[in-house]
Amino acid sequence: MREMALWISGAALAFFATAGAFLLLANLATVRSEESLTPDPPSRHSGPDLELNVDEDQLASLEALPAQSLDVTVRNRGDEALSDITLSLNVSSENTSLPESRYYGRKVEKLPAGGTAEVRFEFDLSAPEASGKLAAVPEPSRKILEIRASTPEGVPAIRTAILPL
Amino acid sequence: MRCKVARYAPLLLVAAALGAASGCLHPEEESSLSPLPAAAGRVDPGLGPGARPLSFGPGYKGSPSWSPEGDRIAFTMDGYVVDKPPEVDDLRRWTTRDFIAEDAEWVSGKGLTILGTAPGSGPPSGTEEMTKSVYRARAGDGSFDLKKVATGVLAMGSEPARRGGLILAVGGGPYESGLLLTRGSGEVDRVYPGLVEGRVVAFSPSPDGRNLVLAVCPPGDRETSELGVFDLRGGGYRRITRLERDLEILGTPQWTGHGLYFVAGKEAPAGGAAAPYHLYRAAPDPGPPEPAPGVGKDFVASSIRVSPDGERLAVIGRLNPESPANLYVLDLLAERLEAVTNNEDMEIKTGPEDVAWSPGGESVAIIARSIPSTEAEVRAAPVNELLEDFYNLYEIPVEGSGEASR
Repeated sequence: MREMALWISGAALAFFATAGAFLLLANLATVRSEESLTPDPPSRHSGPDLELNVDEDQLASLEALPAQSLDVTVRNRGDEALSDITLSLNVSSENTSLPESRYYGRKVEKLPAGGTAEVRFEFDLSAPEASGKLAAVPEPSRKILEIRASTPEGVPAIRTAILPL
Repeated sequence: MRCKVARYAPLLLVAAALGAASGCLHPEEESSLSPLPAAAGRVDPGLGPGARPLSFGPGYKGSPSWSPEGDRIAFTMDGYVVDKPPEVDDLRRWTTRDFIAEDAEWVSGKGLTILGTAPGSGPPSGTEEMTKSVYRARAGDGSFDLKKVATGVLAMGSEPARRGGLILAVGGGPYESGLLLTRGSGEVDRVYPGLVEGRVVAFSPSPDGRNLVLAVCPPGDRETSELGVFDLRGGGYRRITRLERDLEILGTPQWTGHGLYFVAGKEAPAGGAAAPYHLYRAAPDPGPPEPAPGVGKDFVASSIRVSPDGERLAVIGRLNPESPANLYVLDLLAERLEAVTNNEDMEIKTGPEDVAWSPGGESVAIIARSIPSTEAEVRAAPVNELLEDFYNLYEIPVEGSGEASR
């Protein structure tokens, strides 16, 4: 009887010792430093609280002319009101050698949780002056509208529109 | 005593098992769990599982060229010249943005030779022919050092065996061309004896570096219709073949370990169909060319480049005029064509200089984009991180490709 008790306690002790040793080894093998456990930052593109939308029908009606306009909707998806929301519209060409890049800015002072604001951009979408440089690119260059919405502390929401004008 | 050993037997067994198990653990094996590259999953599957984007964002890109060490790749973008390491999106500009470069070649790990036209240096008045200039560019910290080393240049190429020199084809008269070797800042090291009747349009060296294969526009001909060989040692040019009327040579002929290969055909018919250019092979002796064996009679070729070992030919082409462009590799000894990409949805750029082997011959750089929409499209990313919407460079590994269906 005493022999059996010793065997059982020995086996139990061995089990716990083995389990503990494996846990220790697993921990040593996988954790090199605390740095490797640092989670990746959230995607810069999603924007935790802001949602940005552009009217695609309106996009389709844009022309390569001055005095174009586009309505952009920004929505606060978070649980708290946001303030000082900066919106920007950058107009550029697919041809990166052209010095054409026009920047337009707007601001939304306050946006309550779940709230939506519509912002109108008016901008120049006319083609740059013809230059010999165009000969380097044998096809028409598309226009690019890059729209960003951001708060001072948040990551921006971004939409890029490619326009075959 | 025997009883005590029996008591501790389970512990000893477990200890032994534990020791064996711990001996099998290799912390270094974790390296196989390294994070995926940022572009993983964004590359069109038709370009192959190993395809890796080398550039992002807008810009009409062309003429990729690997540095001799393979640690950087240069290319033209909307006419100007940039380079970057393959794994980092860190563009370095080599010329002003208003430069119009046709080609950029590495002369060393630190310098580029650029064939093109700087702003304000158009063709001289009264000349019909557009000649170009050659510039040497050196990498600087945040600036570029660009120096014109030759004018009136028709074509350029690195000295064989990468000895650091540069061979230039220049106009030797109204209907003649000459070849010369320059070094350093453009000093003429040697003028090769013998003139070429006609205008040299492109050339590349033989595997032994003793000869060049030339594409020539003969006097009075509007097309680049002549293939010839130039002897760099003794000087002198000999014609290999002159193509039939209306046929022209496209791009740079390639001198491989198994003959001269070139693309030739007629101009594209109206209507947007692929130009009926085909791949030909010729011996380095005078005589007619033959259709390149192994590619099939319907195969339409665009760009070709011989591998560093001279045994394979990278070909951008189509199995027939209606099929999408893909990257193929022609095994020149086995005369077997292998499809490296299986693309159906992308536009692979088919310019004659839009393909480049890596220095070790393990991969090929090509340029591709998705088929542009005729309507406005919206993406949820910054413009400089967009990939398939614009022509961008991809590195395509060439090993393990499947045989083309013919």
